[in-house]
Order: sequence, then structure tokens, then C-alpha cells
Amino acid sequence: MTATADREIVISRLISAPPEVVFEAFTEVRHLSRWWGPEGFSTTTRAFEFRVGGEWDFVMHGPDGTDYREWISWTEIIPPERIALRHGEFRDDPNAFESVVTFAPDGEATRIEMRTVFPTVELRDEAVEKYHAIEGGQQTLDNLAAYVSGIV
Amino acid sequence: MARAATTSDVFNAIAEPQRRQILVLLRAGERPVTELAQELGMTQPGASKHLRVLREVGLVRDRRAGKQRLYDLDARGLRPVHEWAGGFERFWNESFDRLDAYVQDLKQEQQEGDR
Repeated sequence: MTATADREIVISRLISAPPEVVFEAFTEVRHLSRWWGPEGFSTTTRAFEFRVGGEWDFVMHGPDGTDYREWISWTEIIPPERIALRHGEFRDDPNAFESVVTFAPDGEATRIEMRTVFPTVELRDEAVEKYHAIEGGQQTLDNLAAYVSGIV
Repeated sequence: MARAATTSDVFNAIAEPQRRQILVLLRAGERPVTELAQELGMTQPGASKHLRVLREVGLVRDRRAGKQRLYDLDARGLRPVHEWAGGFERFWNESFDRLDAYVQDLKQEQQEGDR
């Protein structure tokens, strides 16, 4: 347990390429624009400089036509192992949050882990951990989603 | 920024552990306050207070049945929580799906570059 464990969301995933290749996909706009965001999303980049202290200023376009302003600044870059970044909607966004992405070799593949720390315990707690508590470990998020949408 | 009032904000309402326990109990079906209070080891006025908060944010409904009042879960109230939490995880799970597909191209591109 770290001091921030109660403010975190951790997403872990196996990607079927070695760390050097997966890391590379995080370092240039021409790569990022091909995969950043859920299916149906695209991005328009205003500025991009992949270095510690550099910024990625971009707009994300949702499939329904909604635009989301996004701003990322890198705080640590260790190829091909680790990238730390601040993620907000604009420079000096007080609600920006920190993510650390690690790339660990796993056979021919890479285990990516993205650890995101939210600014307050409340934001993380109220939304995520407590939500899982409501589920009582019995149902997955998807089951409850189906239940909720079924009765709306 | 001021914190939203407990009685109008579902995120604040479910931040209280006993209120979450009430919601878990109500998943099994409607219950009178006396049973809820007993099961959670609270006083009846304490349980009633929590139920009032849950009702005000739309997580619990009540109806009169004879002399009793029965409380029932209204999961529609959880939608903002689900969208917030599910949205974040879904965003990244889908992004990583696309990343997994894209690195196959990238791997090939690099191998061809090495030749």
C-alpha cells in the first residue's frame, strides 16, 4: 500500500508487442492519433513536444460530435519502462490528475499498467471504490449497467 | 469550489459507509426501517435519517404498506456514478484495445525498417 492507494485507479493490460514497440506508440503524435481514445474518437493536435516538461495540447472528438479539450504534460520519461504525466483540460488545470504508465516485458508481450492518482480521496472514493462496495463483489459493473439501463 | 450538499449529490450520499450498507441490503428487496436498523445495528432514527438522504438523491423509494413504510432501491440514481467510474475505465480499456491493434502495424513497420 502506498500513501495514495485510496485515490488511485489502476488499469492493467497485456499488449502483444515488446516494450520497445509499445513505448514507441506513446512518443509521437502520428502513433498516438491512431489509438488514443475509445473506438470512434479522433484527435486534433495543437502542440506536441515529447520531453519532460513538454506538453501535448489537443482536442478529442467524440463519435457524437462532442469536442473535449485535453492537455497533457510529461513529468518523467524512462524509455522503454515508464512514463509519468499530468492530465487535465488546460495548462495549470487545478483538477489535473497524475498517471504513471509502466511497461514490463512479459514473454513476447508487454504488461502495461496505468496507475492514476486523483487529486482528492473524495473524488476517487465517492465514485469508484464505493461503487464497487455497492456491488458487494457479487456483480460486475457491466451487470449493474445492464440492470440500470433495463429499468430506465 | 464548495462541496455539493449531501442531500443533492449522489456521490456525497454514497460516501457514507452505512448508507452504502443500506443500499446493499435493499438490493435483495424492499424492507421496513425497523429491519434495516436492526440488521445494521443502528437506532431507528439513525436509519431513518440515512434513508431520507438516500431518498432525496433518488437512490431509494418508499411506499406505505398498512402500518409500515417499506423502502426499496431505485438504481436509476446510480447512473451518474456508473457513468463517471465506468467511463474512465472504459476509456482506457478501449484505448488499449486500439493500442494493441496498432502496435502490430508498428512492429511490422520497425521490422521492415531493420531490413
